[in-house]
Formats: sequence, C-alpha cells, structure tokens
Amino acid sequence: MRTRLAPADISRPSDCLSHIEAGDLAPLPPPYEDFNATAIPPLKPEKVRHIETSLDDTVALAIPRPASPEEEDARVRQFLSGLKKLFEKENNWTFLQPLLLSMEHCAKCQTCADACPVFEMSGRKEIYRPTFRAEVLRRIYRKYLRPGGKMTAKLTGDIDLNWTAIARLAELSYRCTLCRRCAAACPIGVDNGLIAHEIRKLFSQEMGIAPKEIHEKGTVQHLQVGSSTGMKPPGAKDSVEFIQEEMEEITGWKVDIPWDVEGAEILLVHNAGEMLAWPDNVGAFAVIFQAAGVSWTMSSEAAGYDVVNYGLWYDDVQFSRVAVRHADIARRLKVKKIVIGECGHAHKALTVVADRLLTGDLNVPRESALVTLADIVLSGKLRLDPRRNDFPVTLHDPCNVVRSMGIVAPQRRILEKIAPRFREMTPHGVENYCCGGGSGFALMSGHNFADWRNRVSSRKKFMQILAAFANEPAEVPKYVCAPCSNCKGAIRDLIGHYHAEERSRLYYGGLVELIVNAMADMKKPILRFGDEPSWKT
Amino acid sequence: MGLYVLTYVCALVFVLAVGLRIRRQIALPVHVRWELYPVRHETTERVAYGGSYLEALNWWERPDERSLWNELKYMAPEILLMRGLWKENRRLWWVSFPFHFGLYLMVATFGLLTLHALLALADGHPLGHLLNGLIGLAGWSGLILGNIGCLGLFYRRLADPELRDYASFADYFNLGFIFLFFLCAFAAGLGDPSLAGARAYTLGLLTAGSALEASVPGPSAAGAAAVVLASLLTAYIPLTHMSHMVMKYFFYHSVKWDDAPNRRGGKIEAAVQKNLGLRPTWQARHVGADGRKSWREIAASEPGEMK
Repeated sequence: MRTRLAPADISRPSDCLSHIEAGDLAPLPPPYEDFNATAIPPLKPEKVRHIETSLDDTVALAIPRPASPEEEDARVRQFLSGLKKLFEKENNWTFLQPLLLSMEHCAKCQTCADACPVFEMSGRKEIYRPTFRAEVLRRIYRKYLRPGGKMTAKLTGDIDLNWTAIARLAELSYRCTLCRRCAAACPIGVDNGLIAHEIRKLFSQEMGIAPKEIHEKGTVQHLQVGSSTGMKPPGAKDSVEFIQEEMEEITGWKVDIPWDVEGAEILLVHNAGEMLAWPDNVGAFAVIFQAAGVSWTMSSEAAGYDVVNYGLWYDDVQFSRVAVRHADIARRLKVKKIVIGECGHAHKALTVVADRLLTGDLNVPRESALVTLADIVLSGKLRLDPRRNDFPVTLHDPCNVVRSMGIVAPQRRILEKIAPRFREMTPHGVENYCCGGGSGFALMSGHNFADWRNRVSSRKKFMQILAAFANEPAEVPKYVCAPCSNCKGAIRDLIGHYHAEERSRLYYGGLVELIVNAMADMKKPILRFGDEPSWKT
Repeated sequence: MGLYVLTYVCALVFVLAVGLRIRRQIALPVHVRWELYPVRHETTERVAYGGSYLEALNWWERPDERSLWNELKYMAPEILLMRGLWKENRRLWWVSFPFHFGLYLMVATFGLLTLHALLALADGHPLGHLLNGLIGLAGWSGLILGNIGCLGLFYRRLADPELRDYASFADYFNLGFIFLFFLCAFAAGLGDPSLAGARAYTLGLLTAGSALEASVPGPSAAGAAAVVLASLLTAYIPLTHMSHMVMKYFFYHSVKWDDAPNRRGGKIEAAVQKNLGLRPTWQARHVGADGRKSWREIAASEPGEMK
C-alpha cells in the first residue's frame, strides 16, 4: 500500500490529508527535549464543525463549507475563473512574467525541498514540499485551462478538480512563509514561493477568501481607520506621548517626537505594532535621531503612522491601495525621503515592490532605517560605549530585508560598533532562515495556528538561535536582535512557547534598542533582562 | 535528401519556437520588482555577500554601478558546470551534470562540424586536422557523458521516491527520447570512430547534398537514426519545459536580477503608467473592479467593505 502523498491526492476525500505525529518533527536539543514528545494540539471539533479542515492539523483561513453540491460546483467555477485571470495582463500585470516562467519550467528536481524550513522541520511532510502545491496548481492549469489539457493530462500529470482540492490548496498557500529560500536554491530560477503567493491572490481577489487577520483586520482596517492595529490617529499620538515620557526617564533629557513637519528631511514610518507591543523601539529611534540632529517627522494622518502593507502577502489590489496612501502622505509633507522603521515586509513592500507602482511625484525616495542608522552610528554623531552591551548578541536577518533587498551589511556594521559579543547565526545574510512568522504568520493565531507556527514554521529559527548561543552558560542573558516587527512577534512567541527565557535566558528586541543601550550619556539602560537592567546605573 | 529536408525543417521549427518564446517574454508587461539577492551584477564588494545598492545612503542620488564582469563570472560556471546544483543538490549533480554537459558537447560538436564543412568548402584549410581532432574529442566525450547522464537520471527518477512521485509520462518520454539519441549516436560512432559520416552529413547540410563528399550519415542504420533523432530533438526541446536552457536567461535577467529602479521620466515609469491604465475584472467585492475602472483608479479607491 502506498503511504507517500502525491500531488493528485489533494482531491482525494479524507478528514485530514496529512497529520504530524509527536515524533515526526525535527528533534530539539537539550533542554527542550520534552517538546519532542508533544504533538500540535488538535483542533476543537465544536469550533471547526462548519469550516474546511481537511488539509492538516491546523486552519489559517476558516473557509465555510459549501452548503450544497451546487455551491461546491459554483466555487470550483469561480476558482477556475480566478486562475484564468492570473495569466491575463489586465488582471495580473504585476507578476505575469515571473509566474509564467515558474509555471512552465520546473524540472521537479526537488532541489528546493532541502532549502525549505517548513518541509524540513515538519519531518518532510509531503504537503509542505515547495513543489507539492506548485505542482497541484500546474496540473490544474494545464488540464483545465490549456487547450487539449484534458486529453494530455494523463501524459503530463493528472489531477481531479473538486471543492476538496480547492479548499486544501487555499489552506496550503498559508503553509509557506514566502521566504523564497526555495527560489534562491533553484538551479533554474523557478520560484515556488511566488506560486504560493499567486494562489493566495487568486483566492483573495476572485473569491474573497483571505485570513481575517491580514484582510479584514489588516489591510481593510489599515485603510479604514489608519492602522492594522486598529489605532486611530489620536491613539497614535497618545501612544507617542507616553513613549516620550518613557524615553525621558531613560535619557534624562527632553525627548521630542515631531509630528507632521512639512519639509522635514525624513518621514519616519514605523510598524504601528511597535507603538503598542514594543514602544521602546519607537522611542529609541527618537532618541537616536534627536541625538544625531536629524531633521525628521512622523505623520499623524491615517495610514501615515503605520508602514505595514499586508497586501504584499496576498492581494495586489490592497497592496497598491496601501502603498499609494503611504507615498501620497510623504508627497504632501514634501519630505526628502521616507525612512522605513524596523519592519521587514514594509521594507520590501514600499521600497522594492511598490517601485513599479508609484509614478511621478508619488515616487518619493525610500530608504531602510538600517542604512540611515548605520550612517549615524559610523559617522560618530553618537557617543557610544559598547561595554554597556556586554552580553551575547546574535542577529536575525529578516528575509524581506536581506534576500529580497540585499540590505545585509549596514546592520552588521552597527553591531560591530556596539555589541562586542556579537556572533552570527548559521547560515545568515541572504541564506538566512525565516523566523517562521513571515507572510502574515506572526499575526495569525486563530484556532491552533500559533501552535503550528511555533512547532513547525518557526522551529528552524529556534534551533538556529539555540545553536548561536550554544557555548554560553544557561544563566547568561542572551539577546536576539531582530530588526523587524513580524520577526520579533514570531521570536517572542517562540520564547514564550518553549519557556526559553526561563530555560536559556533568551531575550529579544530590535537594533535601535541596542544602539541606545550603548549610548554613553544615557541615564538608565533601555534594555532589561527580566527584572534585571542590562547594565548597572 | 529526405534526411536533409527533415533536418532543415526541424532547425526551422527550433528557430521559430525559440523566437516565439523570446518574443512572448519580451512582449509581457513590465512587472513589479521581485529580485532575489545576491544579484550578480552588483559591485565586487557587495556581490560577495549578496548586498545591493539599497545599502547606500540616499541611493537614488548615486550613479548606477553594475558589473558585467561579475555577472559573467557567475554565469559561466553556472551554465557550463551547473554550480548552483553542485552547491544545493550534489547527489543530483553527479548525474545531471554529465547529461547537460553531454548535450553541450553535442552542440559544440555540431558547431565544429559546421566549421569543418565551411573550411572544406573553401578548398581545405590547415586547421582541418585540428578540427578533426576537436570533433573527435568533443563528440566522443559528449556521447559518453550523455549516455551516462541519461542512465543516471533514469535511475534517480525511478529509484528516488521524491523524484518518482512527481514524474509524469512526459518526463520519462523526454529523457527516453534524449537517451535514444545518445544511444544511436554512440552506436553509429562505434562503426565510424573518426565520425567521418557526421562530417559528411554536415557538409551535405550546407550544400543541400550537392557536394561530392557529402553523403547521408554513413552506411549504418544507427547513423541515420541518430540524425533523425537529433533533428527531431532540436525541434522538440523548445516546445517543452526543457526550453529552460533558453528561458533561464529571463529567469535571471527579468526576475531574479531585475533590480532596475523606477526613475522619474524613465522607461520603466512609462511602462508602469501603461500598466496602470489596464482594466482588471477580479470579482471579489473588496477589489471593486468592473472591467471599466483602471488599476490607477482602483489603487486610489477604498476597498468594497468600506463603501
């Protein structure tokens, strides 16, 4: 009897196409072996009675089950209509060429599989193989949209199309973090991560199916109230006022965070989640910019204080709306450039992807904060005492900043100046591993998705972090520097899930906090390890 | 003469198919940037670790710094030696490299045969002997490597469940087709170790069979089969996913390494303006597309949920 799954099995009826047993996952090292014997907590039957759950052990989308066979047929037709649109320039000029190339030229050599942390950490579960979902889409495309496809399907790879297959494919597009490590490894250049992105787009733009955390509570809320956090402009101003007070405690001097200064050199835009979850990050930027004498401002206009663009992960239309909104705010403020705070996906969204969307005076120059900060730190504008950061530090590279933008050196130049016990993870830079929270995963926690993330998609990062500090005693506090809000969210959850603060004294934070912590004229340390300040006052 | 006609027709199909594929790629609309680092035309300092021009303060004020030499330094071993596969999938490289290099050597042999035929038409040339040697070297190396590679790839596809479960009839057919060619050509070569038949056939190709020295490919059935299969393969490859040998150029230059910034008043901006005038028909409510509104209008509007 065949036990291995093949792409055609996606349309085979079953309650669960692929299940992860406790012992299947890649084993964690001491002192985390106890987690090796635990499985992903099962979905609660009473909560998933009416939604599609037949892919694996978790749910990202919660797609309602069609009420009748007729509704199933209608949804299949809707899917095919959307699939067709992916290959039309009117509907998909944004990614048509990359998509066509990746659809037509995969040699199925499986080189990409070993590059995928989700596939590897899951115990090589077939459905998470980068080519699995891509091959499903290729077969459906060839059979149902290409002329003569039904006749040639037996020769080129057959598949049946039914509602089960479609519902599973939708879910499966949210088991890839879009880290694009697979694409970097492909000898031809095929991007199976892009295919996951395009599947998400089809479901969102044609069928209105997307995780509520990134659509309703994400882009829609962002455009509606001003931030995907739900924070309105007055709320943002209140948060910043509180942050200023906190920073004055640390610096001992008056910290000013300017709003809506027309003609400022820099419009600094943070991930608004920082204001709520990591306010020190926002404050640290202000302290550094003020100390360096930078001309800068923040925007209090709706969307102007939240640089996220969740559309990057699932919907080109929502992406375009958010990007245009950001650029328009900068244009009206007449700033010289937009500087993007520590938010990886926003870096890529606004700097790289939106570059071929913004025209004329909307094309305001955009720069990574890591570059701006490196210039400040290396120019000697700050008085730094690296001995204040006398604890082990490692750097997490956000995929969107390194692999998608090639910004690799500035953050390291800073760390060389301020963190004497810095060490790299293996691998790092453009070969880094995703935090496991990429492409929206860090925000998604419905049902047991957070458990799946912590145990599967973030597992490789956790093992990398542990390996980076392997030679340090357990009682020594250790700092994971993650200059990206989503990555920080994923790492925060990892540390909590595995009790890593208690067991390994693991802490995490951004890069600006480390810089401020090393500033010689601070009254108090900005970093604390539990109740303990990182340096004695 | 029939074989010559077949070869001419197949060569024409090859040119047309490759030409159409290239034309189709060039005609596609400018897409959003989706590069992947390292981008190999970056400066020597940056390319070493995968850095980009975006690492520079006020990068838009600096001149473009692109290094064709760095790109070539990467591409030559990538194309010839399959360096990427060596790094990422060593087990497959041991069979894939001989297969691909065998094919390259077949193409090189044909190039040398053509050169030899041209020199023969020019009443001989002192380089003729050297070319004979090179033809033998490239031809035999290619045949040996190609046969080994085909057998190895067959073995891997059949023995490795990771490859087997994703292989279709077409994949085996393609491999079998190429293997049959290598096998027939090898068999023909055993009866004609100096590859005189191949030289004569190439001369015939250039003269439509009218040159005295021209001939059908030697006396053997294997030789005739090799010519038929080589011709058909030439026509067939660009019609399949095996055209990645050509399309790889677009994978790299139009996607992975396409980091060209959109400058105001430039060509990219003009292409983007054109794209923004396209009228999508996506059906989800939040999109708000009706086939009349353009991307520009939709990007400036609010999602359907808010209306």
